[in-house]
Amino acid sequence: MAKPRPVPGLDPDRRLRPNARRILAVRIEEVYAYDGAIADAENVAELHDMRIAFKRLRYLLEIFAVAFDADLDPFVDEAKAMQDLLGEIHDRDVQVPALRDHLEWLEEREHLAARRAVAEAAAAQASGGRRRPSEAAFRRFREELEAGMRFDERVGVHALIARRRRERRELHARFLERWRRLKRDRFRARLEDALGIARG
Amino acid sequence: MAQAWEVPGLTARARFREAAGRVILTRWAEMMSHREGTEAGDDIECLHAMRVSSRRLRAAMDAFAGAFPERSFRRHLRRVKEVADTLGAARDLDVAIAGLLREHAAAPAEERPGLEGLIARYRQERAGEGPRIRALFARMDEEGAEERFVEWVERHTGVAMRRLRPRSPEEER
Repeated sequence: MAKPRPVPGLDPDRRLRPNARRILAVRIEEVYAYDGAIADAENVAELHDMRIAFKRLRYLLEIFAVAFDADLDPFVDEAKAMQDLLGEIHDRDVQVPALRDHLEWLEEREHLAARRAVAEAAAAQASGGRRRPSEAAFRRFREELEAGMRFDERVGVHALIARRRRERRELHARFLERWRRLKRDRFRARLEDALGIARG
Repeated sequence: MAQAWEVPGLTARARFREAAGRVILTRWAEMMSHREGTEAGDDIECLHAMRVSSRRLRAAMDAFAGAFPERSFRRHLRRVKEVADTLGAARDLDVAIAGLLREHAAAPAEERPGLEGLIARYRQERAGEGPRIRALFARMDEEGAEERFVEWVERHTGVAMRRLRPRSPEEER
């Protein structure tokens, strides 16, 4: 996660507005710094960092709203909508590897169950001398082995992974559309005007 | 989502330092007001409300970092982050379980055992989160974390909690 950039020139003994303006100018810049990277859906880290940047901006607008005359609510709502969309994408980026881990966990459990069933069968045979195992003992072994297998659980997990990937693609497309609309609507310029931030 | 508490006496004319004290102390009181219900663990909404408040507090600390000395700020922020992360781990599992239960209801029969296995695993993990939360609160009590945090904010902002007296929206009514 990208750390917030330090804000130069703050003076805690001055009024809230000039300090808030300096902080917000830097945080707006941070959001837009990801513009070049987020069109590529594979840039997971940049998408996550942009979510954090939007989250910081949204909270700051809420906290500092009292210091400005302009109504900041529409900007808060827009920042929150972007944060939520990026959050949904991030959830999928976390869930897919977690589901793959779960598949591996199921496999480990199967190996353990198989080893236990074989060890128990071997012990039973050893205690019964060198006789061939009975049909009943073999059936019991097979049942224990099958009970330890988790094939039926994998279907649902694989389906879930496929669903999360599909959702992720759709969410990224929606996010890009919204981001482009935000830029078309001059979100940044309007926000900076509302805050009285001079544009360079 | 739990409603944010009104910050008493915050106006556009406030100095940055004073605003820092008013906002951060209000958010701290808001967060700690949910502690009892979170610790009891009977209602997952208490934990959710405390987590939301802890995120608001963290955001307020980020906003007003400039009013505090860097070293002590980092130490206190770490503590708040620890609370947010500990509650977040439990909340994420609550959300994941609720989501999977919804998907389970709509899933075809062949996918259900997989979802049931996952739900069972998450429930098991979730059961371990309660003791972790209680251990964190116990550690905070041992260290006098609440008194130290409040005293630190008061010292650097000149705002006193007992004079600020932040109140919940229910108390305001």
